[in-house]
Amino acid sequence: MIYSLAYLLNSGNIYYEAAGVVAYAILVSILIFAFSYLFGWVERKLIAKMQYRHGPTYVGKYGILQNMADLVKLLAKEIIIPENANRFILLAAPILLVAMNIFLIFLIPFVPALQLGSFGLGLLAVFVVLGFTPILIFLTGFSSGNKFADISAQRSVLTLISYEIPMIIVIATAAALAHGYSIYSMVSAQSGIDFAFLMPIGLFIFFIAMLAELERPPFDLREADSELIAGWLTDISAPYYALFLLLDYSRMFLGSLLISIIFFGGWLGPAFLPPIVWLVAKAFTIAIFITILRATTMRMRIDKILRIGWIWLMPLALINLIIAYMLLL
Amino acid sequence: MSITRVNIGPIHPSTHGVLRLVVDLEGDTIENIEPHIGFLHRGVEKLVETRMYMQCPPYMEKIDYVAPMSVDELYVAAVEKAMGVEVSEKAQYVRVVLLELQRIASHLFWVGSICNDLGQLFTTFMWGFRDRDMVLHLLEIATGQRMFYVNMRLGGLSRDLPEGFGEKTLELMDYLEKRLKEYENLIEKNPIFVDRMKGIGRLSRGDAKEFGVTGHVMRASGLDYDVRSERPYYVYRKLNFRKQYHLSGDNLARYEVRIMEIKESIRLVREALAGMPEGSAAGMPIKLITPNAKNRIVMESRENPRGEEMIYLVADPQKPYRLSIRSPTFINLAALNHMARGSRLADLFSIMGTLDLVLADVDR
Repeated sequence: MIYSLAYLLNSGNIYYEAAGVVAYAILVSILIFAFSYLFGWVERKLIAKMQYRHGPTYVGKYGILQNMADLVKLLAKEIIIPENANRFILLAAPILLVAMNIFLIFLIPFVPALQLGSFGLGLLAVFVVLGFTPILIFLTGFSSGNKFADISAQRSVLTLISYEIPMIIVIATAAALAHGYSIYSMVSAQSGIDFAFLMPIGLFIFFIAMLAELERPPFDLREADSELIAGWLTDISAPYYALFLLLDYSRMFLGSLLISIIFFGGWLGPAFLPPIVWLVAKAFTIAIFITILRATTMRMRIDKILRIGWIWLMPLALINLIIAYMLLL
Repeated sequence: MSITRVNIGPIHPSTHGVLRLVVDLEGDTIENIEPHIGFLHRGVEKLVETRMYMQCPPYMEKIDYVAPMSVDELYVAAVEKAMGVEVSEKAQYVRVVLLELQRIASHLFWVGSICNDLGQLFTTFMWGFRDRDMVLHLLEIATGQRMFYVNMRLGGLSRDLPEGFGEKTLELMDYLEKRLKEYENLIEKNPIFVDRMKGIGRLSRGDAKEFGVTGHVMRASGLDYDVRSERPYYVYRKLNFRKQYHLSGDNLARYEVRIMEIKESIRLVREALAGMPEGSAAGMPIKLITPNAKNRIVMESRENPRGEEMIYLVADPQKPYRLSIRSPTFINLAALNHMARGSRLADLFSIMGTLDLVLADVDR
């Protein structure tokens, strides 16, 4: 089916191509929802196991339908908008945020044969759009007229300036090793050896920056539940909160996909499994690792994050860059 | 920079109950904290004036719902003092064992909740709850109830310890020692934990004296005062009890004092069980009490899990004429503003967590 899709996309006939794009969009959407849903369940079960609990058990076999039940509950609730909130931004920014993050996953070629989104600067485009996320979060928090959301929005901007620059430097390093920003060149450059082994420091920095980007512990300062109630989500009503849950897991998917593409050879792997399975399996493993971190670490303080970003990550990123150029020479 | 006034609580995930804090923030730094209490005021002290002596323990237990037996025991001890009732030696030993078990349960609860305040996703919380529940199970074997025991009677307890209680307790103590090592691996070896706790919320020795803080907060600031050794009650005199204290006075010191107290309590339970004499621990059945207050005014204090709790009792023949409670958490809460001023907003919750507030105890 995938190859017939590839044929459609490359056929040169505009109607066929349009049909191919629509089919691809539906396929990837299903993938995103399936991943978000399944991963939400796996995360609940895994964390429950680490805490000597059972996790969801009643709804469906092994509680697999629990998330669906939660979704239905959230969607059935009323939308409440605080009086001093900026109504337009509060309602528009979340939708934009979710749409943007899902769009980013479309840019990632799940199958080498599919050419959609595989233009020369693919990876750079992903990070440019990803860089808008904290700004939209800031807008959402700032416009909801709640002081906790306000503090959370300020934290969002503060963390942004601490991790974004080292992350971009690491991507530039990877691009230098791969001779280009295209996702294809990134993956095919790793056919010999994974970038994870060529630049372990880079992996370390990128992983930490990605945790901060995804708001995962120990960097979940924006929605620090024990301090700021729910941070920028404090005054978000239930149906929107359901959207944010989808956003959370789809961003998790995106983040782990990016790590597996840049450092673990993306869809490359022994031929007994199709490439798409390799890519998703790698992403899933990374996501589970992030989940284990989530269950065990405490939250960092905001000033410490700034310090880590500028005193540790930044010089390390530069050292990583120098080592990579020495490898190239 | 302008000052932001944030209202935290009375409904907030980290205030451990209905505490309202009005916090003035300059940027992310705390300028001033104004605690508002009284959301859980039940008027227990007035309520017991209308009850017979042995009708009061259930009210007393709800004062500190995390360690109910300790307040219950304190009240009964005050009444015993007023009536001049002696506690048999066996009953003294049993009370010490049960109180130390209650202390372990309360401290385990706290170890979990402090990690929660630091932003961990309930993992240590669940571990602490699980181990606490094992201790509560022991208390259930001994008293018949899991949380609110009402097992103290004048001169002893409602019933003797059941068969096999000692072996089960020793088994659990071995298990808990193993678990404490796992806690150490999960918590203390985590650099983020140490980073968030060390040097935060420092209370100097002099300030601790000024504020009159009690319990682990005081002992973490270098004041080695423990009622169990200063004015020993029951068989603490005979047992080889060692005070646990720390000098640095920060969050980490309070954490370490509590962990050391758990270990000390485990040791005390073992020692008390080994030295347990023969005889009966049963006290007076409630119906047989002939009210006869010998001492009109009595004062009794105990080292409860949260600090020194005192009861001041003016006794009438039938019922308390006046009862006043000096609760440790109320005193400790008074030091919060001093400890947290100048630190970051995120640290406010860990400082408040280390004070181990039980709002029912603060408001009474």
